Amino acid sequence: MKKAENTRGLVHGLAAICLVGLMALPVMAAPGIPQGFDANGEKIFKRYDKTPLAATTGTDGKRNLNSYYELRQYPGSPPMIPHDVDPSFSSKGLKCLSCHEKGGYDSSKNAYAPVTPHPENELCFQCHVPKHAKKLFRENNWLSIAPPKLGISELAGSPPPIPHSLQLREDCIACHTGPAAVAEIRVEHASRGNCRQCHVPFISTAPAKEFKRKN
Amino acid sequence: MPILSFLALPQDGGMEQLCNDLSAMEYCEIIPAENQEVIVLVTDTPDVEAEKNLQKSLKNLPSLQSLSMTFGHNAEQ
Amino acid sequence: MKLNRRSFIKSAAVSSAVATAGSIFPGISFADWKRVKGAYGITWKKAPCRFCGTGCGVLVGVTNNRAVAVKGDPNCSVNKGLCCVKGYHSVQALYGRDRLKKAQIRKNGKMVEVPIAEALDVIAAKLKETVKKHGKDSVAMYGSGQWTIPDGYVASKLFKGCLGTNNVEANARLCMASAVTGFMTSFGIDEPMGCYEDIEHADVFITWGNNMAEMHPVLFSRMLASRKRKKDVTIIDLATRTTRTSQAADRSILFKPNTDLAVANAICYEIIRNGWMDKDFVKKHTTFHKGKTNIGYGTEDHFKFKDKPENMSFAEYKNFLEDYTPEKAERISGVSARDIKYMASLYGDPTKKVTSFWCMGMNQHVRGTWINNLVYNIHLLTGKISTPGNSPFSLTGQPSACGTVREVGTLTHKLPYGVVMKEKARKKAEKIWDLPAGSIDPKPTYHTVEMFRALDRGDIRFMWIQVTNPMITMPNLNRYRNGALKDDRFIVVSDVYPTPTTDVADVILPASMWIEQEGMYGNSERRTQHFDEIVPGPGDTMSDTWQIIEVARRLGFKKQFPWSQKNYIGKIWEEYRRFHDNPKHNMAPYEVLKARSGVQWPFVNGKETRWRFNSKYDPACKKGSDFDFYGKKDGKAWIWARPYEPAAESPDQEYNFWLNTGRVIEHWHSGSMTRRIPILHNAVPESYVELNPEDAANLGVVNGELVKIISRRGSITMKASINGRGVPPKGMVFVPFFDEDYKINEVTLDAFCPISKQPDYKKCAVRLEKA
Repeated sequence: MKKAENTRGLVHGLAAICLVGLMALPVMAAPGIPQGFDANGEKIFKRYDKTPLAATTGTDGKRNLNSYYELRQYPGSPPMIPHDVDPSFSSKGLKCLSCHEKGGYDSSKNAYAPVTPHPENELCFQCHVPKHAKKLFRENNWLSIAPPKLGISELAGSPPPIPHSLQLREDCIACHTGPAAVAEIRVEHASRGNCRQCHVPFISTAPAKEFKRKN
Repeated sequence: MPILSFLALPQDGGMEQLCNDLSAMEYCEIIPAENQEVIVLVTDTPDVEAEKNLQKSLKNLPSLQSLSMTFGHNAEQ
Repeated sequence: MKLNRRSFIKSAAVSSAVATAGSIFPGISFADWKRVKGAYGITWKKAPCRFCGTGCGVLVGVTNNRAVAVKGDPNCSVNKGLCCVKGYHSVQALYGRDRLKKAQIRKNGKMVEVPIAEALDVIAAKLKETVKKHGKDSVAMYGSGQWTIPDGYVASKLFKGCLGTNNVEANARLCMASAVTGFMTSFGIDEPMGCYEDIEHADVFITWGNNMAEMHPVLFSRMLASRKRKKDVTIIDLATRTTRTSQAADRSILFKPNTDLAVANAICYEIIRNGWMDKDFVKKHTTFHKGKTNIGYGTEDHFKFKDKPENMSFAEYKNFLEDYTPEKAERISGVSARDIKYMASLYGDPTKKVTSFWCMGMNQHVRGTWINNLVYNIHLLTGKISTPGNSPFSLTGQPSACGTVREVGTLTHKLPYGVVMKEKARKKAEKIWDLPAGSIDPKPTYHTVEMFRALDRGDIRFMWIQVTNPMITMPNLNRYRNGALKDDRFIVVSDVYPTPTTDVADVILPASMWIEQEGMYGNSERRTQHFDEIVPGPGDTMSDTWQIIEVARRLGFKKQFPWSQKNYIGKIWEEYRRFHDNPKHNMAPYEVLKARSGVQWPFVNGKETRWRFNSKYDPACKKGSDFDFYGKKDGKAWIWARPYEPAAESPDQEYNFWLNTGRVIEHWHSGSMTRRIPILHNAVPESYVELNPEDAANLGVVNGELVKIISRRGSITMKASINGRGVPPKGMVFVPFFDEDYKINEVTLDAFCPISKQPDYKKCAVRLEKA
């Protein structure tokens, strides 16, 4: 994985990610097409055309559990930012959210932007910081626990429970569907919106509690 | 000039040895699993000759129990 | 292109292998961190965050006696489940590889590891010897707002009570003293009347020299969330430098350093001129006063100042404000008369609830007390105070600056109840502490800057420093480091990591950190927060409280320090609580603290007080009153006529730039903890100097090139940051102070507010050279 370089102080006109397609394309009819005819429709084709085939089917192969946890210090910690960011991080313009709220293809990264499960929190740099140093100040003996296991269904083929806390991650769709979803946890039945109809929280990192009747 | 990825399984208890051996070899990148005795191996060779030599040395690696290919791509251009 | 394509294919190769591995070995993971062996399951325990004064509740995930994860505590009303990047990674600060685990003593110039009992013996012997040789005021204790409440309490009991010296000070002097004197002079009682709930009620926020987006991000996101929800919320950033807060604000207004005094007076002028004053409120609840002017800057040793308050009439006050018409203030401050009128109209609009926030910008100010007074004036004139959403709110920077330093009173003039100058307060302390009458000295000794000057001069020979890092944080640092290194100065340092302060120590005690001990913090909104010992500390580490108790007992004060190590925190709390046994300050009982994620005082009849001085919410108010500013004898708050006076050292021909210092979101205080947290260090690995792009061009430096910053006291060479996360105006540079490799305080000036004695880290004159 390519790590972010030291860019503190550099001006990046826009945040490093920049959506190509819907936003950037001019609203101009192609030659031979009457002006004003379904101009928006054209964007659909152009966008489709710009998007690599690999990315339109399944995941784009950029994100897997390994790269996912590489950005974290323990299961559930806020991930660091693996790409360049404007150091001023303007939170009013919501630059982070311009890509990470809805997702979308970013040609400069040749990847889809992961979607945040908590877009209501606008002050992104409160929890997410980029990486500018290769060397630690002092070594650290940090240990944490194993991430939740996958496929912990009670019965063969039964829906697996939700293995993590829902705090700040209430939006299942954000992380478990779409082209930017982590390969291993992407669901193929995203059209079913009521996730907790079948999936119930079972925080696999918490001690298991057994039901006991109180007399 | 292919790019290949494998799952490499070490001989019993030889995880560390295999990591060392593989990471010492040219054109090899590894990602060891943390909680299983499995290593992801990605090879990326510049030419046919190098590819042949690499396959040979992989076969002769004593710390390696088995190698199963998961991905192959031959980038000719 | 070819390379990109190749690396894309490679990553597809990786993910395909990983996906295959996942299907063969369910749950296989390639995570980056090392695992606790044999761990299964996390239990979550509550604590306040270790870092700033916001006082977020965190839940620490523990497995096999190790802290392994953090969540925001949804039960804590402060942060409602959301932390900042420091909080989320706070537990990693426990596990830096160079943690101090053994006591060390300087023998023949070298630090040698010894059993902790031996180190405690040496400390007690040296204390005794120094008192005998040089008198009781030659020994001192220097702590901080990172002390837990029991830490500060036993320090005060030992030094002020048992040893009879008022030489107890804390880093909070460098951080909160002007806030305290501001409250005392305006209201006669310390700490904010409002609470964080004001954020959801307010329509207008004005941040005074306060980069909240980085320094109090959790509260700032509450503001942003409120703006998003309510739509018509306005945020004004009134500051000396453009920051992330300015970017998020609806309006960024810049003023020249120290001229906030003129701006605040001009706002008051406009409020009165336009008839926006709440006449009833002002008549019923305020009186007008003036004090001395031209009060100096304290840069010389033995500086003394005592203010002389005088009454004045409203007409006289109005007359005083004539010097601060918006136009005149514009000439002083650089803030346009239009912007001043705009802010006055926001404060003056009777339909809008206004909250002002400030922290170091107003406190680290040579007229810190004055500017605190002046912002209270605005809220008092408009009657926008002590009601939900109408709140002049002084924020704190350390987790227990309020809890320990201000409430326990670990400052030279303070006691847990009242001040040493008052006989009633001394008697109360002597009674609770079981000491003979007259044990406590009625004369305050040294405030922090003067204390380190006394150490340099030799008036102080023994200093015990706990949980703070003055060899980074003292202004004009060279003098004070050289002083500490002089022969015949004995320095004890209790800390968790090696720092520039442990470098000057003769004895180092390994301290328990945060959740390795039981304790309490007190945050900015009068909230006391208890935490249990959640994980064991490494090696010989010992809580600061217990270190003091051990030394006290060696000095023969067994009667005053009788507790057992099993339950001493609970016992100390209940003893301490006796000092605040009145409805203006009542503290919650130990059991209540243990059960809840923070409890606000005054805690009266089982209820917390959200807004003080308002009889609707505060049971200490006189019956039948609407507002009662009971800190003052007549129940009236003071409106002060305080003029604009310039900074101690302003740019001139030779030293032509302002130097401003501060923090970044990733690092906290002197960085000794946050720099050991990998993700935080990686984000901001070193300090830098922010320059205005035009100044940089004139100097011929580009981003990353070295700049030498030179003042009359010292110089430092560091990398330039241009258009980085903050942009100073032309003629100013800004440097974060966290980095021990770039000690910017060797350059700063030790001028302070003569009333609060808090130094001004935001203003001194420097010149720049391309290095």
